[in-house]
Amino acid sequence: MKSLVIKSETDAPYYPSVNFDAESGVCEIAGESYMEEAYKFYLPLINWIKEFILNEKRPLTLNFKLIYFNTSSSRLIVDILETLRKLREDGHKIKVNWYFDPDDPDVKDEVEDFEIESGMDIQLMELH
Amino acid sequence: MKNVLSYHGPVNIDLVSFMANYMKEVVNAEQAVTKRLFKVFIELAQNVSLYSAHSKKGWKPSEEMNRGIGWLQVDENEGDFTVASGNLIRKEHGNILQRNCDEINMLEEDELRELKRKTRNQADVRDVGAHIGLIHTGLISGNPLNVEISPIDDNHSFFRISVKIDKIINN
Repeated sequence: MKSLVIKSETDAPYYPSVNFDAESGVCEIAGESYMEEAYKFYLPLINWIKEFILNEKRPLTLNFKLIYFNTSSSRLIVDILETLRKLREDGHKIKVNWYFDPDDPDVKDEVEDFEIESGMDIQLMELH
Repeated sequence: MKNVLSYHGPVNIDLVSFMANYMKEVVNAEQAVTKRLFKVFIELAQNVSLYSAHSKKGWKPSEEMNRGIGWLQVDENEGDFTVASGNLIRKEHGNILQRNCDEINMLEEDELRELKRKTRNQADVRDVGAHIGLIHTGLISGNPLNVEISPIDDNHSFFRISVKIDKIINN
């Protein structure tokens, strides 16, 4: 299976960078996310995750390193987390880490809301 | 009062991004305050861009979506910043918008978080709607949404919203 890599571009800073590594199973979404039609960006990522877990049958770690995301991106983040929660309930090994910006006064509540809403637990770590 | 930025016209994603990042550069405030300003500005600006009842076709041939036309303003006051936006809405949407904003203003933080989770979970991934952005704005600003809806003609009203972002963060 091929890795999924999307580099960030300075003329479109509203897209995050993506590095889903098929070899290690370590996946990262980093930067800022406030594009229009967020589903067009995120649905292929959800499909990649499903395909990796169901076909490769190896553990997956998803690291969020988002310093900003708007509410429509957050809707898709919930979808990713719900997908992961269901796959984990089926016995797949999945871990989610959220690297938070310590200068952001609201991010811990947001991650807590993601956990409540999706039923997936998320490890909080400070972003350096 | 000092004006940080004001704009009236069609709003697309590149413009939202440019203005939000410009604001981050010129505003002299704590990081946490600047972050809240950035978040609230983007939510309000994207609501104008997506949901204004007055729109035009994108100005680049590659742009398929219509661009909402509206007004955006950020001011600095002694103890806070004000982020404001305005746009035309369909007259029949006025009551529900007013009701949604009144509800947001009545709720405590925990209740707002619950409403946000519920609204987000029910939202269509292809079009999440304006409501979630307003809840989020009320939640992170910690201040009331000031809303005015004025009749324009038989089919339209003008929706104006402003919210304060405090310069001192308590939580």
